[in-house]
Amino acid sequence: MGKLEGKVAVITASTRSIGREIAETYVREGANVVISSRTQEKGDAALAEMDGGDQVHFIPCDAGYQDQVEALIDGTVDHFGRVDIAVLNAGGISEPATVADMTDEAWQYALNLNLNHTFWGMRRALKYMLPQKHGRIIAMSSVEGKLSKPTISHYSSNKHAINGLVKVAAHENGTEGVTVNAILPGVVLTDMFYEAGPQAVESMGLDGLDGLAALYAGGSAIKRPNTVEEVAAVALMLARDEAKNITGCLFPCDGGTSPY
Amino acid sequence: MELEGKIAAITGGTRGIGRAIAEAFVAEGAKVVVNGRSPDKGAAAVSEMDAGDAVHFIAGDVTDQSFCEGLVDQTVEHFGRIDIMVNNAGGGGDTAAVVDMEDESWNRVMDWNLNHPFWCTRRALKHMIPQQSGRIINISSMYGKLALPSNAHYVTTKHGLNGLTKAVALEVGDLGITCNALCPGGIMTDVMNEQGPQAAAAMGMEFQDLLDHMAQPSAIKRLNDVEDVALVAVLIASDAGAGITGSMISIDGGVSPY
Repeated sequence: MGKLEGKVAVITASTRSIGREIAETYVREGANVVISSRTQEKGDAALAEMDGGDQVHFIPCDAGYQDQVEALIDGTVDHFGRVDIAVLNAGGISEPATVADMTDEAWQYALNLNLNHTFWGMRRALKYMLPQKHGRIIAMSSVEGKLSKPTISHYSSNKHAINGLVKVAAHENGTEGVTVNAILPGVVLTDMFYEAGPQAVESMGLDGLDGLAALYAGGSAIKRPNTVEEVAAVALMLARDEAKNITGCLFPCDGGTSPY
Repeated sequence: MELEGKIAAITGGTRGIGRAIAEAFVAEGAKVVVNGRSPDKGAAAVSEMDAGDAVHFIAGDVTDQSFCEGLVDQTVEHFGRIDIMVNNAGGGGDTAAVVDMEDESWNRVMDWNLNHPFWCTRRALKHMIPQQSGRIINISSMYGKLALPSNAHYVTTKHGLNGLTKAVALEVGDLGITCNALCPGGIMTDVMNEQGPQAAAAMGMEFQDLLDHMAQPSAIKRLNDVEDVALVAVLIASDAGAGITGSMISIDGGVSPY
């Protein structure tokens, strides 16, 4: 019997990287999972690779758009009959920039993809979870939700804000069988890292992507990035029935990078 | 089986949080040494756990430095190695405001809550460092982040335990060893039942009022369970927990804001 037997989960940005590993983990533990991504192509590839039969369903979703995020949650309930676990995992930035040079577009893009998507997904999921008196909302925050680095004020602000949203939502719903937690990973070598990395390397004058990984991981005690498996293990634990008393927690998975 | 073949030592492991961790670890394939002051509680634990040679009881008081060091050595002697050190034993002392706190009360809680984890950790690391793997799990408290009046010894030692956790984590981070503090909220344990009424009285409350005081700021409006701590302890102790270190993980239903 898997640890999530009979549960239905929806995960934003889950055809690759952290979201994908969480999806694979949940499927292995017996859950039915809706995965999503901006492109049908990535969805098809993920479905084929996961080979999960009826346990996995893909719904396209650009998490930067409210109607798509809400449709994703609704679509999960349409397809699998309910939703128990919502992992609001999508996130990222369009380009790094100092505050002084940040464009409105870059700021707004980050706001929509990170904080707003988390809020839209959370609000829609609660609509289903509260009547059934059971739910697990897991927001993907970041070590950058506690710390600070130059040129990522948009990312950092959003991740700090997600932490605040999680705390409030946890308290609002604490007696209704719904837990709301955040996971705060350290640097993980994902698509986001490889896509945004080269520009950060250039703007910070670093020695390639290895230099960037070392810079971020250098602040950790383990002196290496975290892995998608490590983050997924936390996501599994928080999703379980046994985690019913863990809520409002900013759960670290950062190799000792954050001092609090 | 997340902990197949792993050897754990758990102070205060016959009852309460330590016992729940012991049970969870054994269920995941580990073998455990459980420690406690009372041979009766030890015998009861071994019998109730019914886990054959996967559980071994060692009696003793962790406020004694040489006992702590011996506990680690005896674990290695008995099971051949040590992979996980759970510094769980602990509690409060005679409650008093700082202005009235007695030396004896302060010092005893120092030994129980802060020095015992230091002694056990130091000894365990002597075994873990050569094997380049290990887990130190400190059972701290939400009072390692927050404060409770008339309990400065408890609050201080749990804050101190969090600091020790971070320092150890930095020192051994690239040696395959993690060190984390689990920070539970209020839980009904023997220690809570034994010390709670006096702590409540010192705050001008009934015992139930104290329990409410702990539960009300939480999102769940109830105390935590020993199983909550055990659930997180298994994750931390497992191979998948290798990326979590130097952390102070709140298991308090949302009381602590960080």
